Amino acid sequence: MVRSEELYDAILNGDAKKAHAVTQATLAAGAVPMDLITGTMVPAMDEVGRLFETEEYFVPELLLAGRAMKSAMELLRPLMATSGEKLSTRVVIGTVKGDMHDIGKNLVASMLEGSGFEVFDLGADVSPDKFVAAVEQHTPQVVCLSALLTVTMPAMKTTIDVLKAAGLRTRVKILIGGAPVTGQYAKEIGADGYSESASGAVSLVRQIVAGA
Amino acid sequence: MSAEKVRIQLEPSGLIVEVPRGASLTPPLSLHGIEFPCGGTGLCGACRVRVLTGSLTITEQDGLLFSAEELSIGWRLACQARAEAPLVLECEQWHMDILADNSVLSGRGKNGLGIAIDLGTTTIAAQLVDLATGSVLGVETDLNAQAPIGSDVMSRIRATLAGADLATVVRAVLRPMIAKLARGREQEIVEVVLVGNTVMHHLFSALDVGPLSCAPFHSPNLGEQRFSAEELGWPLPASCRIRFVHCLGGFVGSDILAGILAVGMPTSEEMLALVDLGTNGEVAIGNRHGILCASTAAGPAFEAASIRMGMRASTGAISRVSLLHGEMRATVIGDAGPRGICGSGLVDAVAVGLETGAILASGRIANGAKLFPVDGPVALYQADIRELQLAKAAIAAGFRLLLKGRGTNADNLKRIHLAGAFGNYIQAESAIGIGLLEFPKQRIVPSGNTALHGAKMLLLAVHEPALPRIEHVSLAADPDFQDEFVNCMNFSAREYIV
Repeated sequence: MVRSEELYDAILNGDAKKAHAVTQATLAAGAVPMDLITGTMVPAMDEVGRLFETEEYFVPELLLAGRAMKSAMELLRPLMATSGEKLSTRVVIGTVKGDMHDIGKNLVASMLEGSGFEVFDLGADVSPDKFVAAVEQHTPQVVCLSALLTVTMPAMKTTIDVLKAAGLRTRVKILIGGAPVTGQYAKEIGADGYSESASGAVSLVRQIVAGA
Repeated sequence: MSAEKVRIQLEPSGLIVEVPRGASLTPPLSLHGIEFPCGGTGLCGACRVRVLTGSLTITEQDGLLFSAEELSIGWRLACQARAEAPLVLECEQWHMDILADNSVLSGRGKNGLGIAIDLGTTTIAAQLVDLATGSVLGVETDLNAQAPIGSDVMSRIRATLAGADLATVVRAVLRPMIAKLARGREQEIVEVVLVGNTVMHHLFSALDVGPLSCAPFHSPNLGEQRFSAEELGWPLPASCRIRFVHCLGGFVGSDILAGILAVGMPTSEEMLALVDLGTNGEVAIGNRHGILCASTAAGPAFEAASIRMGMRASTGAISRVSLLHGEMRATVIGDAGPRGICGSGLVDAVAVGLETGAILASGRIANGAKLFPVDGPVALYQADIRELQLAKAAIAAGFRLLLKGRGTNADNLKRIHLAGAFGNYIQAESAIGIGLLEFPKQRIVPSGNTALHGAKMLLLAVHEPALPRIEHVSLAADPDFQDEFVNCMNFSAREYIV
């Protein structure tokens, strides 16, 4: 297990340049990419999530940490592809049709990515058909749907219904989130789970993957 | 054994209290800040409430203190009331000062009388105007009776899509206001001009709000809407022209169009800005050569609605906070101890906290503290400061993008007009201090109810005023907005000159 304190700190400080440089140096010294992810990046993003929960960090800190984490991932991904190492859990995420709100979804996406999952971010205002296409292409275990407006929440149900009609519903677990969303609503529309926060989403995905 | 409870909703705060059926309202209401100066004996009338939904029996004291007309529209004394069934009550003590417009306009050669109406999401202001002279002959203000359905436009849209008829509700609340303004001179009224945000425009006109409920928020019905007095049920002559002025975009309505006129943007050579600081913040920037406008979702922080100890600007609210010889001084509304903080106090308190270092540039309360004490029992929680960060970032980012879109920068803005009540109460120094407004103080101009002012200009104009091209920018669809929004969230991001 490789633990790079420097990379850990760079992620916590949201320093993308440093994260990139440290990762480069650590790899040159012979570190294994997967070890860096599990030994350093996952604990770092866990800590970022904890600091957000305790109100120490806010949206900017979280997004900056996400950027730092991504700058390290950019170096690791091609190496893992050539060595055949694979991230075992794939997640498709997007904000549902009619809703342009991106930030909450981005927070969840970067927390998931930083927690060692492969994340396919479809962006905002994503039609049900695009979700269907992404599930077919990426074969994720988990699909995350986001909505910030009460008036766009019904599009979550539509998306689930369209996945059902396409015969894909049983292949994936569907999690929903966003300010107006509740656990009760998740049950009503036939989702598999709901999280109130970005770090909660990480533990939810972990639970689901462990249970699957 | 507990008695059966009755649910009472208090407006305009939306607060819910539960009281035992048949019990006095005095204890629960005083617990929530309603004052009973005469001790609930029914003598002073200060605890008056208006029944918006449900009913309250008229008591002997009610009969003594209220006119038949007041009783008929639901005014009662809270101290004498017993709740038998669920109620929605409007509390007079929480009544906001509804801003009308005192600007002096002159006639343009028309004759007769006209009525200008600013139909706001929360409040309504209407004025009777002599079209020959431009002078204001009467003013009426009221709360928008749609408020019990939800305080923001999105909840109104949702209720309408679920089948509620809000057009009838708002047309009905305007009827007595118009009747009062017109009293005895109905036949002289030749024109009524209404302005309001896009949702109010659609709800008043009974247009489909479906398109306003989801992206891309393009409604096919943004145009001017005309009505007859008869279809609205208003006591005005059949010949009276009644129109709701056209909207500028999905969430930028004719209230902003009227505001643009009021501040003189369409004829100005210099670059001007207009900003309405509300739950839905609207910004317009431009001059006679072209105007850009946008709406930006600031959330309810400026109204202090989402703040833990937030309250309306009424008795007991901290409305101003300043630094005197390094010590924090709070000003409380009314002759009372502090029991909450209103929007202007919140902006002040955070600005002071930043100055003293008690709040860090990241928004975090210093030294890992959970509370930032303001005065007496009133404190800001970490989450309150976060709410304000979101609100101010939405406005500041909106400004930055429109300036960029118009190919100019903050230095070229000659004046920044603040529309609406909050713009009148907020301290410019504090707004600058928290990075809400990134402009020098001397260019910031509180401009009052620019919507009503502009509506009067439209009423007096013989011809429709010539407008430059006004372009609506959809910020939500712009990826740069998300970046700029995050950039503006920290308090360190300010680049201002005081």
